[in-house]
Amino acid sequence: MELLRGAHLTKTFPEAGGEQIGIRDVSFTLQEGEMLGVVGESGSGKSTLLRVIAGLIRPQEGELFYQGKSYLGKRPQEIGRFLQMVFQDAQGSFDPRMIMRRSVTETVRGEVNGAELSELLERLRLSEKLLDKKPLELSGGECQRMSITRALLGGAQILLCDEITSALDVKTQQELVELLKEMRLAKKLSIIFVSHDLDLVEELCDRVLLLQDGKVQK
Amino acid sequence: MTRKRIWIAFALILVGVALCAGLIAPHDPYETNAALIRLAPCRAYPFGTDQLGRCVFSRVLYGARTTLSAAFFLIAISFVIGCMIGMLCGYFGGIADGILMRIANLFLALPQMVIAIVIAGILGGGLSGALIALGATMWVHFAYQARSHTYMIKQQAYITAARLSGKSSLYICLYHILPNLLLPLATNALTQIGSTIIAISGMSFLGIGVEVPKPEWGAMISEARAYLQLAPWCVLFPALAIILTVITFNELGDLLMEKEA
Repeated sequence: MELLRGAHLTKTFPEAGGEQIGIRDVSFTLQEGEMLGVVGESGSGKSTLLRVIAGLIRPQEGELFYQGKSYLGKRPQEIGRFLQMVFQDAQGSFDPRMIMRRSVTETVRGEVNGAELSELLERLRLSEKLLDKKPLELSGGECQRMSITRALLGGAQILLCDEITSALDVKTQQELVELLKEMRLAKKLSIIFVSHDLDLVEELCDRVLLLQDGKVQK
Repeated sequence: MTRKRIWIAFALILVGVALCAGLIAPHDPYETNAALIRLAPCRAYPFGTDQLGRCVFSRVLYGARTTLSAAFFLIAISFVIGCMIGMLCGYFGGIADGILMRIANLFLALPQMVIAIVIAGILGGGLSGALIALGATMWVHFAYQARSHTYMIKQQAYITAARLSGKSSLYICLYHILPNLLLPLATNALTQIGSTIIAISGMSFLGIGVEVPKPEWGAMISEARAYLQLAPWCVLFPALAIILTVITFNELGDLLMEKEA
């Protein structure tokens, strides 16, 4: 079943003396439970594509569909019900002055389900004690796993992972990738996995979208 | 740590003196005595007496209350107004940001002293006129700082995460942006206390701030300057009070800045 579809998405940014291409005529589909890799060099439009999908920036052209219905123009607050992002800078994705418990449960609309939170933490091999710490007291890998916890706690079916392994050491990268595989199966997640590491993406993902200068190459 | 403790202790003493001036002061700061005019410092009058025989020590203590309360009040009001306007401009941007920042520029272009003189002419002088004149430009500094910090914070991934988490703009401003703004703005506010005290005292010295006989350090220096050679203590002690207070709050500001860095 097709969960997410982007059609002919184009986003450019004004620049002195012209305009900078973010993405141009990018189309894609994401099936339920699928992991779609997006690779490309720096400046190829990977992050712009994720931000467009998440509704953080509006494309000049194109359409976005979730379960067949257009969600283009909806606010990120509404889009966040079915889709969450995991960021490259894991520590920077948490408010430095807030304890993790508060940050992680922000995605929950209504009462926090303590059992669900504990189960997620256990699956992601995180201690509950970490919830009472601030992000700078956690390692990069722990923050990244907390970031996944936050995304899943809100009930998102789709994860947008923006170069989530690039700031981690090789061992932590491997652990995170294994956890992501487990979580994908356990929660039937659909994932768009952005990276500049083609080998990793080919190993991990069902399909790969290669971006170059904002356009899909294959 | 020791340096930090010293300056915090100084600041607390200053605030304590301002609050408890009535309990500490040995004499009524308004009480004149023709028999004790320009008396040099002695046991009964530790800072001597002025040209009207008033106790300089008591007037310096009461002056702390006037000067510090005026400075704190002005900074608190400017801080709140500037912080709110700057945060909203930085977060929402757009036309409202353009209009508000043009208004801020307009206020920044107003010369404080000219405004104070105009207000003194209209309202007949006094502390309120001086505070309005100083406040007209002071909030702008906080607004600019809050706006630029908000703009930086807004770009952080945790704000994007909060938006995707369904949090409203009001929630994001109150729980994510404001707490992260407070430290840099508080640092600025602490360093502004020193310059505000100098500005209030300067205006009182020129006769467009606190009106005599109310004890205020700048006004005391102004009143006693004609007798500087005969009774230097009348100028020396209020001047020392200004210097010590300004240094204390500037040092506290520096300490906060170091912590922030």
